[in-house]
Formats: sequence, structure tokens, C-alpha cells
Amino acid sequence: MGAAGRSNQRKRSAAHRDEVAEEFPASSGIDVPSEPEASSDEDDNVEEGDFDATLRMMADDQGFGSDEAEDFAAQDSDEDAEDEDEEKSEIHSSDIDGASSEEDEEDEVEDEEESSVSDDDKNPLLVRAASRSTEGQETVVDSDEEAENSVLDGKDIDRLTINDFGRDLGSWKEYRKTLPQIDAGYASDSSTEEPVNTIGNVPIEWYADSLHIGYDIDGKRIMRPATGDELDKFLDNMDNPDVFRTARDEINQQNVKLSEEEIDIIRRIQGGSIPDADYNPYEDTVEWFTSQTMQTPLTAAQPSKRGFVPSKWEHNRVMKIVRAIRQGRITRGAPVSTAPQYFDLWADAEAEDSVGTGRRQRERLAAPRTVLPTHAESYHPPGEYLPTEEEKRKWLEQDPDYRKRNFLPHDFGTLRTVPGYDRFIQERFQRCLDLYLAPRMKKKVSHLDPEELMPKLPDPRDLRPFPSRESLVYLGHTGRVRSISVDPTGMWLLSGSDDGTVRLWELITGRCAKIWDFKDTVYRVAWCPSQDSCIFAAAVGSRVVIVIPSDLCDDNRLLVSEELVKAGFGSAAAAETDDDSSLPVSWDMPTSTEQASGMHVSIAMHRTVKSVTWHRRGDYLATLTSEEGGSSVLIHQISKHKSQRPFRKLKGAVQHIKFHPTRPWFLVTTQRYVRIYNLMQQSLIKTLQPGVKWISSVDVHPQGDNVIVGSYDKKLSWFDLDLSMKPYRSIRYHSQAIRQVQFSRKFPLFATASDDGTIQVYHGMVYQDLNQNPLVVPLKILRGHEIRNSLGVLDCQFHPIQPWLLSSGADGTIRLWM
Amino acid sequence: MGKLKKKYTEGASRTYTTRNRALKKLQLSLADFRRLCILKGIYPVEPRSAKRANRGSTKPTTFYYTQDVKLLSSEPLIAKFRHHKIFLRRLQHALGKKDFTRAKSLNSHRPEYTLNHLVIERYPSFTDALRDLDDALCMVFLFASMPSVKRVPKQGIEECKRLAAEFMHYVIFTHSLRKVFLSIKGIYYQAEIQGQTVTWIVPYQFSQRTPDDVDFKVMATFLHFYRTLLGFVNYRLFTTVNLSYPPKLDEILDENAAGLGSLKVESRRVEDIIGNVQSDGEHDAANNAEANKDTSAQDKAAMERRLGSLGTKMQAIAAADSAAPAYQVASDGAGLHSDDEDDVARAESLLFGKQVFFLSREVPRYSLEFIIRAFGGRLGWDSSSGGGSPYTENDHAISIQIVDRPVQGHRFLDRIYVQPQWIYDSINANRLLNTQDYLVGEQLPPHLSPFVEYAQGDYVPEEASRMAAAAAGFEGEVSNLKPEDRDEPESEQEEATADNVEGESADEDEQLDSSDDEESDEEGDAKAEKQYQKQIAAEHAGVSFSEYHQQQQQKKKIKQSDNSKSVKPRGKAPKRSKAQIEEEERQKMAISMLSRKKRRVVNRAQADAYKQSKDANAL
Repeated sequence: MGAAGRSNQRKRSAAHRDEVAEEFPASSGIDVPSEPEASSDEDDNVEEGDFDATLRMMADDQGFGSDEAEDFAAQDSDEDAEDEDEEKSEIHSSDIDGASSEEDEEDEVEDEEESSVSDDDKNPLLVRAASRSTEGQETVVDSDEEAENSVLDGKDIDRLTINDFGRDLGSWKEYRKTLPQIDAGYASDSSTEEPVNTIGNVPIEWYADSLHIGYDIDGKRIMRPATGDELDKFLDNMDNPDVFRTARDEINQQNVKLSEEEIDIIRRIQGGSIPDADYNPYEDTVEWFTSQTMQTPLTAAQPSKRGFVPSKWEHNRVMKIVRAIRQGRITRGAPVSTAPQYFDLWADAEAEDSVGTGRRQRERLAAPRTVLPTHAESYHPPGEYLPTEEEKRKWLEQDPDYRKRNFLPHDFGTLRTVPGYDRFIQERFQRCLDLYLAPRMKKKVSHLDPEELMPKLPDPRDLRPFPSRESLVYLGHTGRVRSISVDPTGMWLLSGSDDGTVRLWELITGRCAKIWDFKDTVYRVAWCPSQDSCIFAAAVGSRVVIVIPSDLCDDNRLLVSEELVKAGFGSAAAAETDDDSSLPVSWDMPTSTEQASGMHVSIAMHRTVKSVTWHRRGDYLATLTSEEGGSSVLIHQISKHKSQRPFRKLKGAVQHIKFHPTRPWFLVTTQRYVRIYNLMQQSLIKTLQPGVKWISSVDVHPQGDNVIVGSYDKKLSWFDLDLSMKPYRSIRYHSQAIRQVQFSRKFPLFATASDDGTIQVYHGMVYQDLNQNPLVVPLKILRGHEIRNSLGVLDCQFHPIQPWLLSSGADGTIRLWM
Repeated sequence: MGKLKKKYTEGASRTYTTRNRALKKLQLSLADFRRLCILKGIYPVEPRSAKRANRGSTKPTTFYYTQDVKLLSSEPLIAKFRHHKIFLRRLQHALGKKDFTRAKSLNSHRPEYTLNHLVIERYPSFTDALRDLDDALCMVFLFASMPSVKRVPKQGIEECKRLAAEFMHYVIFTHSLRKVFLSIKGIYYQAEIQGQTVTWIVPYQFSQRTPDDVDFKVMATFLHFYRTLLGFVNYRLFTTVNLSYPPKLDEILDENAAGLGSLKVESRRVEDIIGNVQSDGEHDAANNAEANKDTSAQDKAAMERRLGSLGTKMQAIAAADSAAPAYQVASDGAGLHSDDEDDVARAESLLFGKQVFFLSREVPRYSLEFIIRAFGGRLGWDSSSGGGSPYTENDHAISIQIVDRPVQGHRFLDRIYVQPQWIYDSINANRLLNTQDYLVGEQLPPHLSPFVEYAQGDYVPEEASRMAAAAAGFEGEVSNLKPEDRDEPESEQEEATADNVEGESADEDEQLDSSDDEESDEEGDAKAEKQYQKQIAAEHAGVSFSEYHQQQQQKKKIKQSDNSKSVKPRGKAPKRSKAQIEEEERQKMAISMLSRKKRRVVNRAQADAYKQSKDANAL
């Protein structure tokens, strides 16, 4: 029952309370709210159509149906009582009624039994009703005829109301039972059919083995109805004309014959229409609120303006769309472009380019191209490109970023075995990253051919002669040979060594002509450069010994030499010197044995004499001692046995001293500078700055304008005295300290001797033309000396006449290079 | 006292800007900025002093040219990006509200952008575009062989496939392929297009596994630009050789996997050209209303005259075409330039001009079809590797069958069965190689990279020197080796001729060597005279005798070394001779004479040379 229906019913019940009481079975049972007038007729029809089914149900229910009816009555009367109930509660109430009525049922059933027996005669109406009820029970056997009768009966009966019974509720109850069963119909909420068997949803198979098939409402067993065998069933079916409208009720183990109405329902369901024949889907609408103005309106509120004024916002919105359509912003579907996707993009560009009207932009650096693959990347490379197991392992262990190649060469042999490369996409991606993330810079890569940088040097072969190979080795010394000197005639070689001896060698043959044993370290030996005399000086320990090797020279030279050396004894100058106590020098006469071996003068000093060097004339001799200050450098005059101290004080430790070959100059070399003094004017002329840490030796070109400086920090510096105080050229070849540098007196050659055991011979040409720079060409590296205690070649000297070189080393040998 | 100058107002801090500063200025997200940089080709730079460029900070930063960032700020794409952002927001909003009609309408008006203006901006001339085509081709060919990924949907892949096929058609049509190389990574191709060398790599056709460590967003952005670039380049290339663009796709053939054959390359029709001219005229008119009316009219007249003559030619060609097989593209368009006979002659003069190939099903058709056709060959293939083959396997026109299997079962006697490497090696050698080494089941000779150029002191593999020697011999005998007519089925003969040629060339080499000695005896006087003259010339040039002598020596030495190399390329390093030691010493001494700066350069160069020689020795 719909809500509307209910409220309708309520109104009606409120309005015609009495009428409801009169006609309640029909009007409340079948409730069609829309057509209250027509409904009664229809109800009747329905009642007629349904009657036999109703009766059968009554019979099946065995009295339950009448209880139902009573429930309905109770319900309706309740409804009357509770006047303005909510719909929901009403629904509930029906449930509650259902529940409460169950309690009554049992009493009523008992009452019924009692009354049917005892109160038969009380009321004719009751008697009739009772007889009806018994007839109803009979209908199980013969339902059709009974149904017709009962329909007629039902029509004919003057229905009584509760008012007719007055206070006699018991008889009303009795009477009520006689009233026909109410068919709730499909519109009804509650189903009138309740199964006899109360087992519920349990499969009936579970009872297959037992005698009963379930329990009735009272909990009593319902025994299994007797069934015949298959043959009986078949015969029954054959006999039964209604076999085609019979259905099996499994729960109750009965055959049920379907009524016309039920069949009609089945047909309707099959046909796809609404099962309920009564339901009209196309009902007329009911105007609950009529268009006619009510005299008293339902609400007193003012009608809203919105109700009759068109919306401004809606208007705005519509206008927006309209405007958009007018302006063509809204079109139907996506705009279809008719222009071709690709066209000649560069058609105009190139013409423009030729004119040269292009915006000036920074030059874009094109990305570097990828490196093209080498043989190693081939699917079938030559065997030598395949990695060994070791290389493979190394490659696999290496960090991928540091790998030289990002793949491992592999020989697949044939094309069909080549698999897809699994890092292809990654490599492409890497390239993409490089293109937009890697900084690009123009880097200057010098494509200079190193050959171009190389100095254009003349070929050494064009610069011959120069010493290029070892030709003689002078053996005999047992200590390092610190110094060698060749006599001006070029026939004799003098060497001084750590073993305390000075040896005289025949240069050409290597024969040792004479040995002087001083029992003290010989630091330096030096021939007097004068051609007329035959004298040499040797720095032995803390004295300088002047020796005339009498066997070597002819009488003339011997005479000159002896005169020169001995003239000083007893001279005034010598006496002066002796008096000058400030000078740490004493000119002594050697002992007689020493004299026999050729020593004529011994100049004793306080400290070790490091160096001895002759003036070119052969009369003066300069010595360098290891003491500090000005008295370390002394100049001795042989002819007068006179010593001088040219420098009162000197800065720094003096390393080397040298007379200038052409001018009255004197070169004093300290650790870092070379100072050139004029002895005549007693003044400093120049200070050369070779820019090295520790100068070892200095030599002056025979022409006097160029100086070479060798240093312990491996550098050789060439100075042009006319040009600058800085070296004209620095050459670095040696890997160890340079010990000695030496010009050749006759040839444009010079040589450096180093601790790395090599001697480097250079061509050092100085031109007369002052505009032309001196030419320095490295010519030859001479190797032969052994390195002892990290000392290699200690001294080297050029032959005065021949292009030969002599060198002495820490290995105790002297070598002649030709 | 002058006004104090504010810091960082000029110099490096002005020239360069950091990435974050650029982002701030452009008001872009990093992703958008990156996309923009990719599309515009803007790259980071490395200032000489990062500290100075970054206003005294030494933090590691990415720098860009301020000028570049300025250029970006006026880029119309930025607005497009913003539109897209708004569009996405709206769409998301609509979807969130389940307003599907609005979402649908929004989606139909999705803001689109093209990159046409960027192509012309980055490549002002067509040559520039060609020069930078390598990466574009690699990328497009890669995606043409890939399944669609999220960022690159099917449509994009299809376009890549089409662009790649178009480009290959152009290369085939102009026969501009030069080198090919089967690498373990893929197949490299090198073509020469309008004087520019273009190299690209194509992966072997296997299903590509899409890796996780690759950001396809970046790849897709690159691809977008490259697709646009290649599209325009293709258009230009096609139109310059008078082909219509885009070529028509035969869908039936395409479905049957006909490969390259599914695109129908046709010459431009006369109407098209006229239409173009007209549209050009209109375009001109629109651009400069009256300026060059006369000239355009003249052009038009000239063009029409030319087209008139073209039309007659086209008819002739059309007649010829009906007879010629449809797949032969070359005869289609080339007719515009030359007569038909010339065309045929040209095709036959190509490397595979007179050969008909058949590809077995196991060889890579996608590569072989391309390169064989690019060198004028005709080919058919097994039906299992695609439809549309013009030859079946038992066609007697086929002269060479390419197979890649250990054993060939059934053989036709009138054809040679070679392995695919023969094709690649022949192309790289630019002559038909002897097939003896490449027959079925033979152990193949090593496949060498054609891209390697040997500098002095580089290691030369044996195979390469052998090939070079063979090629040198071949050049003299070019006229002898003409592919024989297909009427007589004797391939053996061809081989024999090839054999002979190679044998002869080897002989000749020997002869050349020996002739040197003989000459010296016979023509000793003449030689001495010559030498004397040379010496005099050298003297004039200011070369000292020793130098001259040395040069001569060196020349001889090189000759000798060459000879020895050809005989024994992988000998052990010979013991250094005395002269060599001397030479080295001299070198060392000369270096000692150099200034420190120069010495460093020379030393570095020497170190490089040493490394190179070490690498070469390792092989």
C-alpha cells in the first residue's frame, strides 16, 4: 500500500468512520486509492475471481485464514484508534499486530473448537457460519461446486457489523470466523499464504529418510503423505485432466493445482508484462494541488521573486555563449586545419640569407658528432680485437663511467646469431642528455705538428769535427779524478785525484809518465797557459804546489820556467808579503825530495784550496779557498812570490773563479750570481743572473763576449755579455747536476759534464757579425763514465789543438773522446 | 676620484647566468625550462672562471649565456606551455566533477603547438639542417622500431616509421648511400646528401625492451623536434628531386608487411607543380604586394614553359612506366632529368645494377632491401618475410641468393648462394668482391668498419691491408670486370674473372716492386741525372745537404716499411738500430733547446704518439 493510499485511507477513515466499520472487509482489504468509487465494483470482481483459490487456501490453512481476517479487522480498528500516526509507525504497527495476534491465535483456535461444538445453536447466523466452515473443510474433496455455492453465499449474506453484536464480543468473534477469507491480493503487504511446513529454507532431501517431512506451526511433525509408486503416479497423471496445471509443492510434498489466476500470472511473466493484471501503469494523474486557487492557501509566505522574474545569471551565461558563438570562438567540433603539415621551410630563408639580413646572433656551437665505430664494434671483428679473458674480467669489474669502451667486442661469426643490443635505448638517451645537459665550450686544440715546433737546427753532421766517440781510457787512479788539465802543446795530460796523486799521462798513448804522490786530496791541477814555460799548479789540501815536470820540456822552456818560479825567492816583494801578516799565505821552499820530483814552490794557506786558475799570461795564479769572506780569493804572482787579496769582502760563498781570456777581468761566481770585476780599475762591471739555484762552473768563450754557466740544478745558461744580464739561452738536457762546463779554445765547441754520467757536446758558434746571434746546436751525448756514489763526470777539458775532449769521472778513469 | 663601479654589472657575471636565475627570470618550472632548452637547442656553457661568473660563489652550478636566456624569454612556446598547463587544470577539474561532456569538449580543443619556427630558427639554411641530421635520424629510426610507450603513443611511432621509410626512399632514389657497417649495436649507414655526410644507426629488429632507467619524457621531447625536422627535410629532399611528398601509402601492401614497397614514391604531377607555382605566386603577392610583380610574372612564364616540355616527357615516361615493374622507383622520377635510356644505363652502372637478388627468410630484409636497392639492385624475398615480392624463389632472373644458414638444401644451379656480409663488404669496397669467401657455410672473413681512417702509426688489420691491395689492383682493371649478361646462366665464370683480376693485381704489385731494382740498373744514368737535379733544386730551396740526404733516406725508409708492412703487418717491434737511437737522441737534444712552453707541447704530443703506438702494439 503506497503512502498516498494510506493517507487517503486515513482521511476517509476520519471522515466516514461509520461507513468503514460497515464495509471494512472489502475496502480495507483491497485498497485502491485512486478510484475509491470504482474500487468497490472491482473488488467484487476480484473477490469473485479469486474465490475458489481463497476457499482452497482457507481449507489448506485450516482456520488460519480466518485469523488473518481477524488480524486485519483488529488492525483497522487500531488504525481508527490511533488517529494521526506516521506512515512508518503504521507499517511497524502492522508487524506488531501480527506478532500480538499470534498470541491470540491459540486461544482463538481453542475457542473456535469449543464454539463449533457448543455454541452451534446460539445464533442462526453462527449456525450458518459454522456450517459454512464445515463446508469449507469439505471443499478439499470437491472444491469447484463448493466454490460456486460459497460465492453465491458470500453475495447473499447480510454482513453484520460489530455493532450488531453489541457487547457480545465472543459471539462476534465466532461470527467473524464464518466470514469469507480475505484475499490480500498482490497489492497487499502481508502474504496470506503461510507454509504449513515450518522447516524454512532447509532442503527437503534432508527429510528423505524420515517419516515426517517437517513440523507445523505447533512443532508437531507433519507426516509424509502416502505416495504411490511410479506407476500410480503415472496413472494419476493419466487420469487427472488437470495434470498440465499441476505443480509440485516440495515442501509439503503435495501436488498443487494452479488456479486460473496463477496461470494468468505465469503467462504474464512469460509475456514480459506486469504480473498483476490489475495494475494499470498508465493511470491518470491525480491533481493533489489543483490549479484552482484555494480560498485558503496552504502557506502564508510571500511568493518568491525568483518564481516569476527570469534569472539574471542564467541570462549572463547564455549571453556569454551567444557572444562566443557570434565571435566564432565556439565552433562545432575541432577546427580542421587545411594547411599541409610539411612544406618548403627554407624557401624564403635562403633568399634572405643571400641578402644578408639576418639577426646577428651568438655563434651556436654544434654538438660534437658521435664517434664512428671502429673495427672492434664489428659483429665479426678480426681476432686481435677480441678481448682476452683477463681483459673481459677487467672490463666487467671496471666502473661503467671509466670504461674505455661501452661495449665488449664479441665475435658472432654469422649475422643470424647477432642478438639485439640491450643498451641501445640507454645509449641514445645518454646522447640526448649530452645534447642538452653537457656544457659546450670551444676548446682550442692545437693541431701543431710537434715537428713544426722543433727548432730548425743544422744537422750535426754538417758541424763536424766534434768529439763523438771514446778512443782512450787512462787507467790508474784509484780515487775519483777531480781535475784534469792538458798542457798547451797538447801532448801531456795531468790529472789530480782523491787518492792523493797527480799523474802525468802521455795524451796520445795513455801512458802514465809520472806520478806525484801528495798523500792529500788533489782538488785541482792546472797547466800554466804560457807557451814558453812548462809549469803546472796543483791544489793539494791547503796548499798550492808549483811543479815543473823537467823530463817533459826542452831545455829552453825549462830554463824559462825555473827562472820564473825561483825568481821570487828572497825578493823584496816576497819579503813584503811575508811581512803582511794579514794575508794567510806563506811561500815556502819545498823539501829536497820534493824538489827532486820537480816541485819548486809551495804556497801554504790556512784552508783547503778548492780551485786554482791561471791568468792567460802565466804569471798570475788565482786561488779559491773554502773560507768565508774576502780572503777566500787570492791572486798570486809567481815571478815575485807575491800574494794579493783583490776583495776586501765578498758577498756569499764563492763557487768558482776565472780570469777573463782577453780582458783584465776577473769572474767571481757565487751561489747565484756571476760577478765580473775589472782588476785594473778595481770595479764591478757586470752581474750575471742565470736564474739558477746553485752555480757549479763558469767558462768564458775564448773571444771573451760569451759566458756559459753550468749549475747543479741541471741547467746550462748561455750569456752574451754585450746583450743582457739574463741568459740568452737556457738549455736543459742533463738529468743530474752539471759539474763542469768548458769551451774549446780552438773550435766552436763547448761541453758540459754531468753527474748523470754523460757529457753533452754542443756547437757554440759566435759570429763576428754582432747582429747575428750565436748559434748553439747540441751535437752529441757522450756516454761512458760510470756513476759512483751518485757522482758521474767531474771534469772535462778540450784538447788545445785537436777537436778532442778529455773527461774524468768519479769512477777513477779519464777518457779521451775524439 | 671616479664613481665607484658596482660589482657584477659587467664581465663574466653578465655574460653568464645560472640556471636558477634563468628559471626565475623566465618564470618557468624546471621541466618546462628543460623542454624549452631541448627544443631551442640551448646548451649550458662553462665559463672560464666559474667563480667570477657566479658572483663570487664557487658552488657547482650550471651556467647559460644570458643572451640565450633572453632569447628564450621571447619564445612563443612559453605561452603555449602555459596554455597547456591551464588546459590540463581545466580538464582535470572537469574529470573530477565527472563533467564528461565538458571534458570531452575541452579535449577536442586541446591546445596544440608546432615546432616549425624552431626548425628554421635553429637551421637557417637547409645545409645546416642536413649537417645536424645524424641524431635526428638515429632517434627516428630507433622509435620506428619500438613499441609505443606512454610518452610516445602509437601515432608517434607510426609517424616515425613513415618518416624513416621516406628518408630511405630518398636515399634509394638518389643512390646516395656510401657506407654500411654491421656493428654489434646495430647497423650503421652513411649517406652523402647534397655534399653532407649523414650517418645513422638502426637497431637490429628485435622487440625492444623498454628500460626503466630512461626518462622517456626527455626522449619524447627530442623526438618531437626531430620528427618535425625530418619531416621538413624529407619534404625538401623529395621536392628537389621532383618527387611528390608525402608519398602515398599502399595500405594493402603495408598490412602484408611489404616494407619499403608499401610507400609509393611518385614524381610530382604537373598539376601539383603548377598549383605550387600559383600558390607561390599568391604567397609572393601577399608578401610584397607590388614589389616584384614583373619578376614573378616572368618566373611564372618561364616555369610554365618548362612545365610544358615536362608534360610531354611525362607522357613518354608514363608509357614506359606501364612496361617497367612497379617497384622500380628509379625509373619513375629520374626520367624528369634524363632520358630513359640514360636512366637505365645509370642504374646498370651502379654496384648491383645488373644483379637480381633473392633474400631467404632468415636474412634481415629491412636492411638488405634498402641497401641493395640503394645500389641499383633488384630483389625478391621469401613470402614469409613479407608480401609484395616481385620475384619468387624459382625465378630464373635471380643471380644471387642471400642465405644465412649453415647448409643450403636445394640449390638452383644458375645462382650463387652467399652470406649477407658479402653485400655489406662489397658496398664498403665499392666493388663486387670475390664470392668465394662468402659462400654458404664458409668461415667469413672479418667484417671491418668502413669508418676507420688510418693515420701514421695506426694498426692496420691484415684484412684491411689485403682489401686495400686488392682494390689498388682492381682500379687498373675496372673495364675488364663487367657483370655478364643474365641470358647465360654461368656465375662461375664471373667468379673466375674476379679471381683472375685479383690474382693479376697481386702479380702486378710484385712486378712493380721488382721493376724498381731493374730500373736502377738499366737507367742508372738517367736516375743519377734526376737525382742531381733534385739536389740542386733542394739547394735552391735552402735545404742543406744533410737534410736533403736525410729526406731521401726517410723516403726510402717509408717505402721499405710499407713494403715490409704489406708482407708482414704484425711483426714484433724491431730492435732499434744505431741510426734510430741517434735520431732519438738528436730529437731529445733538440727538445732540450726549446722553451719550456713549447717543450711541454712537444712532450704532450709525444706522449699521445706513444699511447697510440702502445694501443696499436697491443693489437
